[in-house]
Amino acid sequence: MHRIDCPWCGPRDEAEFAYRGDATVRRPAHDAGIDAFYDYVYTRANPRGWHTEWWHHAGGCRQFVKVVRHTMTHEIAGTGKAGDSLPVPAE
Amino acid sequence: MIELPRRPRLRTRKGGHVDRDRSLTFRFDGRAYQGHPGDTLASALLAAGVRIVGRSFKYHRPRGIYTAGPEEPNALAGIGTGARATPNSKVTTVELHDGLVARSQNRWPSLALDLMCVNSALSRFLPAGFYYKTFMWPAAFWEKVYEPAIRRAAGLGRASALPDPDHYEACHAHCDVLVVGSGVAGLAAARAAGEAGARVILAEQDFLAGGGLLCEPGQEAWRQEALAALAALPNVTTTLRTTVFGYYEQNMLGALERVADHLPVPPAHQPRQRYWTIRAGEVVLATGADERLIAFPGNDRPGVMLAGAARTYARRFGVLAGSRAVLFANNDEAYGTLAALAEAGAERVTVVDPRPLGPAAAAARRQGFEVLAGHEVTGGHGGRGIYSVEARAIGSAGAFQIDADLLCVSGGYGPAIQLASQSRTAMRWDDRIAAFVPGDAPGQRSAGGARGCFGIAAAARDGLAAGQAAASAAGFAAKAAFALPEGDDPDATVAPFWEVRARGKSFVDLQHDVTTADIRLAHREGYRHIEHAKRYTTHAMATDQGKTGGLVGAAVLAEARGETVAVVGMPTYRPYVSPVTWGAVAGHHRGRAFAPIRRTMLHDWHARRGAEFMEAGLWLRPAFYARPGEAPWDAILREGRAVRQAVGICDVSTLGKIDVQGSDAATFLDRLYTNTFSTLPVGKARYGLMLREDGMVMDDGTTSRLAPDHFFVTTTTANAGRVMEHMEFHAQTVWPELDVQFASVTDQWASMSVAGPEARRTLAKVIAGLDISDAGLPFMGVADATLAGCPVRVFRISFSGELAFEVATPAGYALAVWEAILAAGAEFGIEPYGVEALGLLRIEKGHVAGAELNGQTTMRDVGLGKMAKKGDFVGKVLAGRPGLTDPARPRLVGVRAVDRERQIRPGAHLVEPGSDRSLGWITSVTRSVEPGGWIGLAMLSGDADRHGQRLVAAFPLMNEAVEVEISSPHFVDPENARVRS
Amino acid sequence: MCAAEPRSPLSVVAVPAHPMIAELPSAIVDIAARRGRAGDLAAAIRAEFGLDLPPPGRFAASGDTTAVWIRPETWLVMAPRGAEGALARRLVETAAGAASVVDQSHGKTRVRLAGAAAPRVLAKGCRLDLHPAQFGPGQAAVTPMAQVGAVLLQRDATPAYELVVGSSYAVPFLEWLTDSAAEFAGTH
Repeated sequence: MHRIDCPWCGPRDEAEFAYRGDATVRRPAHDAGIDAFYDYVYTRANPRGWHTEWWHHAGGCRQFVKVVRHTMTHEIAGTGKAGDSLPVPAE
Repeated sequence: MIELPRRPRLRTRKGGHVDRDRSLTFRFDGRAYQGHPGDTLASALLAAGVRIVGRSFKYHRPRGIYTAGPEEPNALAGIGTGARATPNSKVTTVELHDGLVARSQNRWPSLALDLMCVNSALSRFLPAGFYYKTFMWPAAFWEKVYEPAIRRAAGLGRASALPDPDHYEACHAHCDVLVVGSGVAGLAAARAAGEAGARVILAEQDFLAGGGLLCEPGQEAWRQEALAALAALPNVTTTLRTTVFGYYEQNMLGALERVADHLPVPPAHQPRQRYWTIRAGEVVLATGADERLIAFPGNDRPGVMLAGAARTYARRFGVLAGSRAVLFANNDEAYGTLAALAEAGAERVTVVDPRPLGPAAAAARRQGFEVLAGHEVTGGHGGRGIYSVEARAIGSAGAFQIDADLLCVSGGYGPAIQLASQSRTAMRWDDRIAAFVPGDAPGQRSAGGARGCFGIAAAARDGLAAGQAAASAAGFAAKAAFALPEGDDPDATVAPFWEVRARGKSFVDLQHDVTTADIRLAHREGYRHIEHAKRYTTHAMATDQGKTGGLVGAAVLAEARGETVAVVGMPTYRPYVSPVTWGAVAGHHRGRAFAPIRRTMLHDWHARRGAEFMEAGLWLRPAFYARPGEAPWDAILREGRAVRQAVGICDVSTLGKIDVQGSDAATFLDRLYTNTFSTLPVGKARYGLMLREDGMVMDDGTTSRLAPDHFFVTTTTANAGRVMEHMEFHAQTVWPELDVQFASVTDQWASMSVAGPEARRTLAKVIAGLDISDAGLPFMGVADATLAGCPVRVFRISFSGELAFEVATPAGYALAVWEAILAAGAEFGIEPYGVEALGLLRIEKGHVAGAELNGQTTMRDVGLGKMAKKGDFVGKVLAGRPGLTDPARPRLVGVRAVDRERQIRPGAHLVEPGSDRSLGWITSVTRSVEPGGWIGLAMLSGDADRHGQRLVAAFPLMNEAVEVEISSPHFVDPENARVRS
Repeated sequence: MCAAEPRSPLSVVAVPAHPMIAELPSAIVDIAARRGRAGDLAAAIRAEFGLDLPPPGRFAASGDTTAVWIRPETWLVMAPRGAEGALARRLVETAAGAASVVDQSHGKTRVRLAGAAAPRVLAKGCRLDLHPAQFGPGQAAVTPMAQVGAVLLQRDATPAYELVVGSSYAVPFLEWLTDSAAEFAGTH
């Protein structure tokens, strides 16, 4: 089980978090059209490698934490607050 | 259980770690035996001369005790009786206690005469991959013929079907250094790390600490001193009977502590077992080495045993496993068994060594042992215990017999790498010991035998270094070292010798009955990869995880592939290194405590009133309140009738409630809901609908405005958590600029719905500080008041379609408010109503709930399309997709059984008479007060207006077809006049 | 103002008593700073209650009032139970628009767990390391235990802890806690 370093609470077990998917997609402007919203909701890269994703600290501070995780090794390169821009390591 | 002829004394008069002054009585297959404290069930059975303890999994061959520890493949037994009966326990790890009851397994009718042994004769029809190949056809035979037959023939013990009377615990532990294993390396590592000041956990699976030291009388003083030193360190916790079974990410390890398995019944308030989750800064794996078998025909017979096990029984338990022994070994380490057996009283030990005569063999000869160098064992005779061993000079055809009652086997030692392998540590092939050796990984070291460092003195030095390094990595400087055991380091070099090629079954996996021939067959059929061959043959997939024969199987595969074992490799080990009970996995969370049960503050009132409770998520809610002798539907209809004709009261405290505040609260709600809240006046409530971003309905509820910057949102019981998270997601990540705060207030407020034509007259009697006339509190009005001296907030909202008020009060006052309203309503015939009547009322009124808002329906589907406002809101764009706006999509209708008394069911499909094309399905049903009889809500294809048509509600699973009439979903008061009355 | 004393959520089902465990009837109020107003809120609370709103992982106490960090710019303020709603009203006045104030006095249940064995009791459900070197007096955490979300704070080195859980979870939480503490009933 992973430990995720919550930017507020410190390292906590994965069990306290809920995975909430790709953190790189941005909600389009309301007039961006169906295609833009379709991409926002459905289109995902599914990379083998580093992935920036949301983990909701549901059992703790209730914050959406940004996590850069390697999808093969589960290594976590960094965590941050929702507004943070996290560096993604080269492969 | 087979009694052998009279034999020499099997228990030595002294030595070892058993207390001969005390006796323990135990039973095996109904017969009473005696052992001593310090015995395992295995050592006690051997001391009693019991040779056969079980039958094998596939061929039902008789099997004896093969090892002296958790690597045991054969000797599995059922331990305990009744509810405490535990199957598949390794008798080599079962600690003897007085009154222990054990049964052999996998035999019928008895251990001595097993009729399923015919499997062995049929074995050429039971090759590897047999189940995959043979039972493919015809498919219909699976359920009726093959599966029952296989289940009868195969399988191990049976679990008790009775509820487990014991309790189990989960526990979390943290340490700087975790040391797994308390052999000489583990003791040295733990002491080194502990004396450096690190917080240390030393976990030992055995009930005695010391590992191999327990077989070394000369090192007993050092062992005792090391244990005393550890006990004196407050920062070191030594936990015995604790198997570390799993190595997970980031140095999290799982361990099972058998707190009370060695006692007949756990002491009061003690669990039987504890499931530890250990977070370690650094890990030292001092798990020792496993001795491996050699594959030769009949290497599974009772009386065949690993050489190290025979030594352990002699030295630790004072038990002579056989008096006329053959030692078949390819390594010097195994020669240590000779002295142990001789000291324990063996008449004779003959050595069969495939190697040319070497120094160890020469020394053995000098000590008077017969040594057959350059020889191999080709078989053992005796179905119920070896009585002779067949051997031959390597390369010669002429085999000869050696009279023997014990055959000790040793193919060399390999590090116990299971935990290191689970953590994905890289393995290196070591030609010197012919085994895989783990490297170090971040936060992880192997020490002693676990990394191929053999010999007491060498392992001790290695353990000390590992303990110091681990402590140092955890930030603790090493202190001056302590004295270590001394001795010569043995020559651990091994000439690999995996297999004797001779006619007969040569096993590489005794528990799963996998032979060398099975491995070769897997290879011939294309399963060349070790992971494929493993799965095809089930090699090393039994509860012992192939600790004794895993590498031998890999070597046979390597030979078939014409490659080295180093290239073929070993499969990655998975948890659990040793089996873990379900009880321990569940811990506290079973039965009533499986998940937390949420109760409202009126729960005890409901219980006293005779409520039948039902689960709603984690909540318990009253389904209905049946009077004595009253059938459920009679109670539900009575409760529903009270609401339609007089007044009812329902505990709706479980509805999700969220307090939303902030200068942008209204803007925020406008963006989340399909309708507008910024225009809602203070003191008013509005029904709201929330979509997911994909355009499907997510939840509904009423939202009230308490102040310009303060809203009170309600959600359905089921979706409270989801809506909260939805709000948090959007506030934190999509519109972080908005000033909005939320708090769940579900538990702060108890709420009760007072509904029915007499609701106002009932409440008016008890409410203070508020005019609840239609003018004073119009439909959808919200206001604070006092009731029974308690603060309340009154919402003029209705779910039933009747005049209704929802009264909310801080939860601690719920009972006082509830009882006051009941007393006030008595003269009007007030009835408490439960979730079933609540459902009846909402279906009659045509209100959608979870069955309709199931995540697959749009606003338009459920008849609420006009709630979409012009501006942006979550889900708006994708709700406009062509597929979701297709007018032919199923949409909400009402259905009513034409024959009023014929039951309709949710899930029934609506078809035209004589057709099998589904036009839609029924989502919710109830017997009704108005209009009477069975009614329901349904999703019906919008391709045509079918109101007034008759269709058939088909439920083929129960062979039902009920004629129904399609109508508006609003069976009651479609003009909505009553709620405004 | 109220005719009835509020009932404890622990009264709806009988929960066994334990000498290490006691309910602390409390006024509990959730205060969340309005956007950009955390500084104003902190100053107002300091002036009125004499305590500094604590950073993540901490609580602060002054007299019988305690403020625990639970979420960014959000605290639980706790005091012994007084008049219904009094603490919330005082906080609304104090915050003067700098915070969203939500009364949780009925929605949260506060219990005390004290005794030398308390860390071993909590270890049966709490994933945090409560070793004195890792977690001590003044520290607090929001963390689930035995499937129930809880606020944990350590009052002193006894060690004495306080736990705050949602009231509808109070019964199953206390059932777990008393069950876990049962073996220490005679030794605390």
